[in-house]
Amino acid sequence: MASKTLLVARREFLENVRTKTFWLGILALPALLAISLGAGVVLAKLKETKSYAVLDLSQDGIGARIERAARTPDTKDMMQLLRGTGLPQKLQEIKAKYQDVTEPGTDGRDREMPDEMRRELQRAMLDIPASDFEKLMEHGSAATSSDKFEFVDLAELELADRPIEEQRKKLQELVEAKKLFAFFEIGADPLKRLDDFRYVSNNVTDSALRKNYDAAATSVVQKMRIEDAGIDARIARSLQEVVRFREQKLGAGGAAEDVKAGDKASKWAPVGFVYLLWIAIMTAAQMLLTNTVEEKSNRIIEVLLSSVSPLQLMAGKVWGIAATGMTLVLSWVACALLGVWMAPKLIPGLDLPLLDIIGDPLYLVSFVGYFLAGYLLYAAILVGLGSVTNSLKEAQNLLQPIFVILIVPLVSMLFLVEEPNGTVAKVLSYIPLFTPFTMMNRAGGPPEAYEYVLTSALLLVSIWLAFRAAGKVFRIGVLMTGNPPKLKEIVSWLRER
Amino acid sequence: MCEACGLRADTPARILPRPLLAHSHMEHALRIREVTKRFGAHVAVDRLTLEVPKGCIFVFLGQNGAGKTTTIRMVMSIFKPDSGAIEVLGQPDAALVKDRLGYLPEEKGLYKKMKTAEIVAYFGKLKGMDPADADQKASALLTEYGLGDWLDKRCEAMSKGMGQKVQLLGTLIHNPDLVILDEPFSGLDPVNRDVMRDTILRMKREGRTVIFSTHVMEQAEQLCDRVMMIHKARLQFSGTLEEVKRGRDFGIVLHYDGDGTILPQTPGALRVNDHGKQAEIFLHPGADPQTALRWLVDKVRIRKFEHRAPTLHEIFVRTVDEANARLAKDGGARAQESN
Repeated sequence: MASKTLLVARREFLENVRTKTFWLGILALPALLAISLGAGVVLAKLKETKSYAVLDLSQDGIGARIERAARTPDTKDMMQLLRGTGLPQKLQEIKAKYQDVTEPGTDGRDREMPDEMRRELQRAMLDIPASDFEKLMEHGSAATSSDKFEFVDLAELELADRPIEEQRKKLQELVEAKKLFAFFEIGADPLKRLDDFRYVSNNVTDSALRKNYDAAATSVVQKMRIEDAGIDARIARSLQEVVRFREQKLGAGGAAEDVKAGDKASKWAPVGFVYLLWIAIMTAAQMLLTNTVEEKSNRIIEVLLSSVSPLQLMAGKVWGIAATGMTLVLSWVACALLGVWMAPKLIPGLDLPLLDIIGDPLYLVSFVGYFLAGYLLYAAILVGLGSVTNSLKEAQNLLQPIFVILIVPLVSMLFLVEEPNGTVAKVLSYIPLFTPFTMMNRAGGPPEAYEYVLTSALLLVSIWLAFRAAGKVFRIGVLMTGNPPKLKEIVSWLRER
Repeated sequence: MCEACGLRADTPARILPRPLLAHSHMEHALRIREVTKRFGAHVAVDRLTLEVPKGCIFVFLGQNGAGKTTTIRMVMSIFKPDSGAIEVLGQPDAALVKDRLGYLPEEKGLYKKMKTAEIVAYFGKLKGMDPADADQKASALLTEYGLGDWLDKRCEAMSKGMGQKVQLLGTLIHNPDLVILDEPFSGLDPVNRDVMRDTILRMKREGRTVIFSTHVMEQAEQLCDRVMMIHKARLQFSGTLEEVKRGRDFGIVLHYDGDGTILPQTPGALRVNDHGKQAEIFLHPGADPQTALRWLVDKVRIRKFEHRAPTLHEIFVRTVDEANARLAKDGGARAQESN
């Protein structure tokens, strides 16, 4: 008996896997992801250079100082930060450790960094406390974005010796004519008042330039005021110091330990998995639906039912498509691993140890396991639906409520990452339709072992119940033609023994 | 235990030596007793009792919606009867002998993306054939039926007639003992009709039982050993052609040239089926065919005149009329009672 189920499953699997469109579909997603990532990098590089001018109303020409500050980010602050993280010493140590192998050879050329050293360097980066890492990233992005802005001297615009009013009028015209992205007005007396600092631009959404200048002007004005007040530089620095709480968590032994930058990255990793899970489950379940409806509408179902029982047929279809979906999922996992392995070799600047995060067994096992469980639950529902409809159009109408339900895991995806063990996360975990997505989503937490046990048990029971119901509906629905049955009729089928 | 060959009566036919297949262990391939099937308030089959002897060609007649397909689906255990019993190849449940049955449904479908040889083999494997045997047999059968060039082509590339051939081969690949064909001739061109007819006759020669339903009376009349007719869920008659025709009014078969509109005025005529160049004229009981002939000679040019038993076509049409009249009368009587 089981061998007939296997025959049906094998046919379903081969029919899908043998087509070119299936493999194109499998490769399309990673390819699109790679293209969009690549496009993002290229676009960032291509981003138009924005030119701006500065109208300096101040007596002592602080505009030039601010401009200088904006050009050169505060490396002192950054260095101080770095020293606090202990990263430079660590980098030194690693460098020393691998000195023998990295020293220039006799030919004077640099030798390539060994993989082991590269990994150690990456790990050292991820060991930085998360709060410091965020600050460093801010500095980094400010430094890169400042390349995108081009300062235009008033002399270049032949405005240097004109009266202020004329300069302002001319600059406004240039902004209006889109010759300039923006211009800044430095206030007349920064030591006393700051309300006449102005930024004039017709682009109200892109605020990167203004923020960059805000920070530069703040540091210059603060320095001027400190000097003016005759405050000792050391006292001033201590006054200006910003409080930043050191982010810690409780480790395995109950001792507090710093939250590492790597911890944060690994927390976000589930979002990618949830998204893939969603796509994979939907793809496979819809494949099953389409397939059932087609088989029913071209009447081949009757020939099949003269050889196999309805339950064998249903089980064969469900497992055949499960195998197809598994091929899809495993291909994606392989693509992801390959991508993470290849990316640093293709793009020299990109050296993230993502492999460690994506390769985390908890994520991979959860991904594959929850794909199977989630697929089976939705498969039971969709194969039942498919069996009572006569055309894809009818089936799609019935699918709409399912899609409404499925929006929940997508909407809650980002929210759940921030609170993986919050009440909402816990409640959603116990609703079987959401269990696979929510538990995958929470994997960064991770949830307690008992939660895995309870939610899995609930999910498995639901799958079993759903298949019992689907079997009853399928048995009758699959041979029906004409109008789809009313809900009342379906309920009466479910009551049948 | 069978006295003739010493084998148990329930020995699976597929392990019997081929010549023994024709040898009858059981009298009937199919027995239907008092079977009723309802769909909600609609009675699809009403207390049907029927026996199909082994090794014969048995034809199911009936209008669309009469209950033929429902009966066939119950025999194939696709539907379960609400009451009554069905015995297929000596077993109380067709599910037990599914692998020895072949079924070609009325609405035929194929997997468009599958190759012809694959799909025929697939149907064989679903019937429990050894995979290698099924692959080999599928290629052999397709080649035998003139589709040798199409083994590796997808079903979607075939014409309708070729598709029907492929379906037929999928039904027969596992050498079934009982074959049920629902409307096998519908949509076939004359050449393929002959192929279908020859296939049915060959299966009979090989000792298999063939049941088919049809609307084409001529086909049924030429092929069948036995026939039954079902109308509005009820069995109207069943038996050999001879038994079915026995006791029915003879009619005149007339081949003629001229104006056919006057034929109903033939002395003693009860009903006339006029086909333009040929007509069947049925006379009142006791009316003399000679008188009719004499009258007809003056009216039209007669090429052939024959006095003979009614055709299956005539029996079919008359049965429908009589059954409807009876139902109307019953309905009227019930309506009067309720008043």
